[in-house]
Amino acid sequence: MAEPDVPDDVVPAPFTAYRQEVRREWLDYNGHLNDSSYAIVLTAAHELVLEHLGLSAAYRASRDASMFTVEMHLRYLAEVAGGQTLTASTTLVEADHKRLRLHTDLRADGVLAATGECLYLHVDTVAGRTAPLPADRQTRVDAMLAAHAVLPRPAVVTRP
Amino acid sequence: MNERITTPYEGRPAVWDGSAAIEAPLRLHRTTAPPEWMDYNDHMSESCFLLAFGDNADAFFRLLGVDEAYRAAGHSLYTSQTHLHHRHEVALGDPLEMTLQLLDHDRRRLHIFHEMRRGDAGELLASAEQLLVHVDTTAGRSSDLPSHLLERLDAISAAHAVLPTPDVVGRPMGIRH
Repeated sequence: MAEPDVPDDVVPAPFTAYRQEVRREWLDYNGHLNDSSYAIVLTAAHELVLEHLGLSAAYRASRDASMFTVEMHLRYLAEVAGGQTLTASTTLVEADHKRLRLHTDLRADGVLAATGECLYLHVDTVAGRTAPLPADRQTRVDAMLAAHAVLPRPAVVTRP
Repeated sequence: MNERITTPYEGRPAVWDGSAAIEAPLRLHRTTAPPEWMDYNDHMSESCFLLAFGDNADAFFRLLGVDEAYRAAGHSLYTSQTHLHHRHEVALGDPLEMTLQLLDHDRRRLHIFHEMRRGDAGELLASAEQLLVHVDTTAGRSSDLPSHLLERLDAISAAHAVLPTPDVVGRPMGIRH
């Protein structure tokens, strides 16, 4: 996978690239999306955001560094059934030189089904410790932070 | 790949023994991280932490009295929130030992806390704080717990009163400077 050299001129605000039909293997005994499967969906949606920031799989492979998930907070708001289409709307809520916090509204056929927040830490995978983002990636993070600053802050982000 | 997600305890009827001592915290589930839980890096993927905590919750439900028969009769416990903290990566074959602490409950909600530790060294790998709600699955809304489940929760709560509240409980996610 090639790494893009320059960030896109326009940062989607919010970020909405994820779209996926619910898979059968994600369902539980009730035929509903299992608790853990929301994490699969959230992780996949956030991976697209990280890709946009140049911090996804290609970055991990080429730079010996990675974004490590230190926290994930899911709020389950509605049941999701097989056959429904999931979409995600993600805001970069906060960031600094080594941390990112993403908030996502997950919708099933357009209805809000869950919210998910993740806190990521930039880790040097060789040294096995946290490290500042390289300057080229910090530029992209700052661009997204600026683009997302105009968005309404998700209502749940300051709650435990 | 399984047809659908199952837990190791499916089909095992709940049996509450009112005379048995209640562990604080409860130690109901241990497992070994299997190959299908690993990502391309040979570390356990995030959703599989939730599978492991879900299995621990299912073991707790069966201790409490929430099993297939209970659900078939029209009630269940649904997860309302899950807040995970990842401390260390989990590798293939790691022995995982889970604990469960009842933090609080009222007539229709349970606040619980899971820890996942390495079975050999005891190192804390991850924790999950969860809010569960008792639901009437036919009406599709929350409903009061029946008295026999409330009595059991009261007994577990009394046994767990000696446990300290973990420091991450109730703490909002954020970048602290």
